[in-house]
Parts: sequence; structure tokens; C-alpha cells
Amino acid sequence: MLVKGVKKKNCWHVALVFALFLSLLAGAAGCGGKPEPALGAAVPAPATPPPGEVAEGKAAPREPLVIRLEGGDWGYCSPFTHYPRGPGIFKMQLIFDSLLERGEDGYIPWLAESWEVQNDGKTYLFNLRQGVKWHDSREMTADDVVFSINYYQEHPPVSIFFGDVLRDPEYLLEVTAVSKYQVRFVTAGPNATFLPAAGLARIIPKHIWEHVDNPQEYLEAEAVMGCGPYRLTGYSKEHGTYRFEAFEAYWGPKPRVDIIEFVPVSDNVLAFEKGEIDLTEVPADLLPRFQNNPEFAIKENPGFWGYRLIFNYERNKLFQNRELRQALAYAINRQELVEKIGRGAAIPGNPGILSRHHVWYNPSVPEYAYDPERARQILQQQRLAGLSFTLLVGQDREVRIGELLKEQLARAGIQIQVESVDMKSRDARIREGQYEIALVGHGGWGGDPDYLRTRFASGLSDWYSGTPGYHNSRVDELARRQILETDENKRRALIFQLQQELALDVPEIPLYNTTGYSVYRPAKYDGWMYMFDHHALSHSKLSYLDWK
Amino acid sequence: MFLLKPINKMWRGLTVFGRVGLLILVLLIFMAIAAPYLTWQPHHASSGPSLAPPGGAHLLGTDELGVDLWAQICYGARVSLIVGLGTALLAGLGGGIVGTFAGYRGGWSERALMRLIDIMIVMPDLPVMVVLAAFFGSSLRNIILVLALFSWSYPARIVRAQVLALKEQAYVKIARSYGAGALYIIFRHLLPELLPILAVSMIRLAGMAIVTEASLAFLGLGDPTSRSWGLIINHALNFRGIYFTPYWKWWLLYPWVFLTLLVSSLALLGRDLERIADPRVAKG
Repeated sequence: MLVKGVKKKNCWHVALVFALFLSLLAGAAGCGGKPEPALGAAVPAPATPPPGEVAEGKAAPREPLVIRLEGGDWGYCSPFTHYPRGPGIFKMQLIFDSLLERGEDGYIPWLAESWEVQNDGKTYLFNLRQGVKWHDSREMTADDVVFSINYYQEHPPVSIFFGDVLRDPEYLLEVTAVSKYQVRFVTAGPNATFLPAAGLARIIPKHIWEHVDNPQEYLEAEAVMGCGPYRLTGYSKEHGTYRFEAFEAYWGPKPRVDIIEFVPVSDNVLAFEKGEIDLTEVPADLLPRFQNNPEFAIKENPGFWGYRLIFNYERNKLFQNRELRQALAYAINRQELVEKIGRGAAIPGNPGILSRHHVWYNPSVPEYAYDPERARQILQQQRLAGLSFTLLVGQDREVRIGELLKEQLARAGIQIQVESVDMKSRDARIREGQYEIALVGHGGWGGDPDYLRTRFASGLSDWYSGTPGYHNSRVDELARRQILETDENKRRALIFQLQQELALDVPEIPLYNTTGYSVYRPAKYDGWMYMFDHHALSHSKLSYLDWK
Repeated sequence: MFLLKPINKMWRGLTVFGRVGLLILVLLIFMAIAAPYLTWQPHHASSGPSLAPPGGAHLLGTDELGVDLWAQICYGARVSLIVGLGTALLAGLGGGIVGTFAGYRGGWSERALMRLIDIMIVMPDLPVMVVLAAFFGSSLRNIILVLALFSWSYPARIVRAQVLALKEQAYVKIARSYGAGALYIIFRHLLPELLPILAVSMIRLAGMAIVTEASLAFLGLGDPTSRSWGLIINHALNFRGIYFTPYWKWWLLYPWVFLTLLVSSLALLGRDLERIADPRVAKG
């Protein structure tokens, strides 16, 4: 009896396993017939109805448009906790609006509908838009603006434009709410950078932050509540993922993208080809994979990231000699750097410092065409023979730039020793003035040209942002005048003059500005656009909105 | 002429694999020594268009700066061989001395040295080497020193074990009872027995050192202006999207092939020499 019972049980097991096996087979066959998207892989554009469908799509509710981009942890998106680099800054800006926004050609009215400059450029009156809602549907008013600016005096946010004017109590004398929708800023005197400084400061809700004393450690859900077009609905620090959803009650242009997701990718080009992300930057050598294919659209980014050679005027007095600096400029073949290291996706540096893609670039400054013979002659006239310098570089690509510079300068009779240290040590040594010539690469070349002043005016002691030991009274004079000039056209003329002067004097040598290429699938989404001073399509808030 | 006989004897003792290994090694050493005569392009200045494919004026093509790869590989062989040889000699000699001392002397000094060796063996070498290379700065000399510092324990242990066994041999005991000094016994009786074993472990160390130098260079911790094979690979891999382009077929492949050739020739040779030095290995 017992034995029989066990046997019966075993039969049942066999039958069960067999049935399971069959059902698995059936499932597999089903999968083979209709491929199921793998978890984490991009759904093959379910959100891309053919254009016709969108036009007449009143009947069927529109599928949400999901855009996926390369992830990575850039910090929590409050103005006090994100990381101080582009990808961290722009995520925060999706949530938080400001009085002005950066458009394709310049600053555009945003939370402020209009503004007036009064009292000889000392007073700014901003007229706010009405009916702007915070994500918790309270109204944004002048009180919030005043609160934000005052809060920043005590608690500086991670990223602040021209913080030196906005956070200087000697300069910004008073911020008051004139009415519910009007804010007045009173300053000590005209300053060209004040409008972008006040205009781009993020506005934070008073009713949340007035109770927060330590914003760096405030990581609640309320910390990422702004009045911008997107709400943060998911964030994983460990995986470097973010999820943003469009805010339904947004005051401004309708968000065209409903959901923005940042997903981890190992190789961005591969991920883009597989459709895991919808926009990527592509090295110039890989462009042929995407060219002449209507599926892809390619945009060349503006050259607002660049490398420059800086001289230590205090360590080596030889650099005070303008002819020597000009000889160096003649001895460096920028075009070769562009072709070999930049792989053609770059533009040669402008002797007048500003990037050649800058809106205020002066195209008529003197150029130093590559001419090692001329460099030799200048050095002979100056009785400078057997020059030898140490060039401090970072790693990887910078070593290659150093090797190429060594080769080029040797042709003009200048010996270079390349010293390579890791990136952070390089930055630290520049900050301490421990170098003779150094190579630095960074972004921001498209920003407000006031950086010509903060870099080259006399008496600057900061090794990183300034040039200690460099004096040029013409440059000082122009730098001082342009910052006081609030008339845009007049200021532009001054900046043009300043570039001319700098190009003659060669206080440093911009090597090249990288451009690079962005590729996307226009059928899925084509709203990508640049801000006038920035190099990344995905960093522009307008890229996601119905703006054009 | 007097060298021919032992070489001939050793050649006969090698297997086919060993002979191939030896030949490749000799060829590579020749390549490193005769680099100026084997190359017709400069090895640290550009001499052609960037990323030219192999053929024509550039036997193995050029890298992105337009520097000839064949010239870089020939001169890079010097770096790899110097690192291999330098580390093997330093670590082999150091380890040999420590091992002989510990084995012959015995007592607390032996115990202390053995514990030190244990510590060196459990220490994760690559991470510590990365830290040391970053700390001391990355020159070729420092890399050899750091590599030697981390590899002396291996020959030291083998030598000590061998000394312990030899010390108990009758002829050593007899020599000692006749009043032979420690140095006399070590040089007269122990060293001839130890040398073959030491040579084998030094060959192993050389292979290891070459690979480690390449990986340090690959991690960006090598001397960035030297042109070792590891550094060529490092530069190639730093080139964005190299696998999507045809460039890897020469820029990455050739230095890798030479690195593999050198290391495997050392391994093949080392295996055979081990068999010759210790016949028990061959039987087992």
C-alpha cells in the first residue's frame, strides 16, 4: 500500500514537471514570435506615433513621450546638494526656474515678464509673471524671490552665476517686494553682470526653506519642489538614475517630453545604437556610422570647452617679455592640435581668448599663424637662446597634447619637459602657483565675457581664475569700463577692443576649443536646442519644452 | 667558443616549446638592442599622418599623433625588458640572500623573516603598487623598485626551503664538522645547487614584472613620457570609441601581440628550465 502510494506521488511529480516543461516551451515559442523588450532596454519607441497620428490624435489619448539619457550620480537635485558640474546643474534647473532663462541667442524673460533698469543702472525692477504655481500648487510671488536672494546671502547654493555681485552686501544693498508681483533690487552702482546674476538665481519656495537652517543636509522630498517644468519622481544615488515627470500645472511653454529618465550606460555610443538612450555625444571618428542615414540627426556642438596654456609670471620673469610670448604663439601649430588630438572636432584657439563661437567673438584680432621660423627670429632678436621650460599637464589626452607641443616648440628651438601628474594634483599645483607653464582644460568659454576681466586684470591673486603677476594697463582700463557699461552695444564694443588688446599681448595661449557632435533620432524627438553660451543639447531646459 | 658547449647542452635539454620560447626571447632582445638599426622612423616624434594603417613607410601604421608604431614597439621592448630584467635581478638577488640567510641561520631571525614573507604574500599587490606608484611618482626606476619590493618573497621562500634541505645533506654536515665557515659552505656547496632554482624563479618574476608594468602603465601610472608597450595600449584605449574604428587593428593589436609573445616565451622557457633544474617536476 505504502509503496504504491509513493509511486503514485512520484508519477504526479513527473507529470507536473512535464506540464511545466510544456508550458515553458509554449512560452518560449510565444516569445520567439513576438519579441518582448528586455528589462531595462528601450522600448522600441512606443511613444513615437507617426506624425499624422499626432495631428489628429484627439480621439486616442497621446502616449507619454519618454526620453532616456545617460545617467550617473550628480547629486540630489536641490540647489544646495547637486554636484557643481554641468549634468548636476541642469537637472536641478529642470525643477527650479529663475527670473530669466538662457535661450538660443541670449537671456529671455522667464519668471520675470519684463524689467526696468532705473537710476543710472543702480536699480532693477522686475515684473513677475502672474499665476506661477509651485509643484504643491501654491502661488509663486515676489516674496519668494526676495526670500531666495536673501537666503542665498547666508546659504550659498552650489552653482551661482556671478556670486561676487549677488552675494556682496557692499554691492547688493537691498531687495524688496514692491507689490505681489514686483521686485526691486538696489545696487551700489552699474555692473554688467548684475542682470544675469539676479536673473539666473534659482527661485526657491519660501514656505519650505524658511524652516531649513542647514540646506546642505536637507534631503526631503520638499527640497526638490520648485516651480519649473519638471518634478523629480525618482532618484537612486547608487545606480545613478533619475526620473523626471512633466509638471501639469506649469505656467510656461508646454513640456513636450513627458518623462525624462537617466539610465546607467557603460558605453554611450553602444547604448545609443541599441536605443537605450535617445541622445549621445559621438567622437568624430565614429560619425560615419551615423552620417547619411535619415534615422539620425547630427549637430556640431559649439566650442565652449577648451584647453589653454598658462604662464607663471611670478616664477619665471622671462614671461614678462611680450615678444617671447608672441614667439611661443607663433611656434604652436593649433591646427595640428585640432586635427590630431581633437580629431577635427574642434576649433583653434582665438588669440583674443573668447571662443570663436562666442556670441561676442571679435574676428578681426591679430592671428598668429604657425611659423616656427618667425618664432626663431623673434627669439634671436631678443637674445633668448636655448630656452627650456617645464610644462605641467594632467593625464591621458593632456599628455598627448604635451608631447605634440614639445615636438612643435622644439622646431622653434624651445625645449619642453612634459611633467604629467593626475588631474587633481595638476589643479592643486596651479592653485598654489607651483608650475612654469601649465595646460588646463575647462568649460565656460561661452559665458559672459567678464571672465576676461577676472582672468587678466592686474592685482588678481587667485592662481586658478586669475593671472598673478600679469599687468597691462590697457587691459585693466578696458576690463574696468566694460563691467560698468550696462548698454549692451557699447559693452560689446569694449569687449571687442579688449580681445584686440589681449591678442596683441598674448597673456596666455588658448590652444583649441572642442566642439564634438551630438546625435539623436529625430523621429523620436527633435526638440533639442543649444543655449547661447553652452555646449550640451541636453543641458538646455528649452530642449524639453514646446518652444520653437 | 667555450660558451657553445653549455648552450648546446641546454638546447638539447629543452622541449620544442622551450626552444621556441628561447628563440622568440632572443629575437625580442635583439630587437630591443638593435632598435636604432631596425627602425627608419623616429620613435618619439610624428613622422606621418595620424592613424595611418600598416604598410608603406609605416610597417605597423601610426598612432593618433602620427608616430610610427614599429619604432615605438622596438624602443618599447627596451622598457619592457629593462623592467623585467631589473625586477628579476633585484628581487632574485634580494630574495635569494634573504632566503639563504633565513634557512642557514635559523632561529628567531628565520621566524621573523618568514612572517614578513607571509605578510608580503597576503598583501594584495596591485592595489598597493597603484598607491606606491602614485605616491613615489612614476619613473621607470621607481616602478622597478616597487615591483622588486613586492616580488622578493617568492624566490626567498623557495631558496629557504632548498637551503633547509641542503643543510641536512651529509656532505654539508661533514664540511661543517671539518670547520668550514658559513660563507664557504654557502658559496662552495649551497650556491651551485641554488642557482638553477633561483634562475627559474627569476624568469617567472621577469614575466610577472613585464605584465605588471604594462598594467600599471595601462592604468596611467607608468612613466607617461616613456613609450612602453603598456603605455601604447593605454593611449590606444583612451582613444574614444577605438573599437568602433579600424584603428584598434594596429594601434592596440600589435603592442598586445608583442607583449604576449614576450611573456609567453618567458613562461615556456621557465617551464623547461624548471624541469631541468628539478627533475622531479618532469616525473610528476
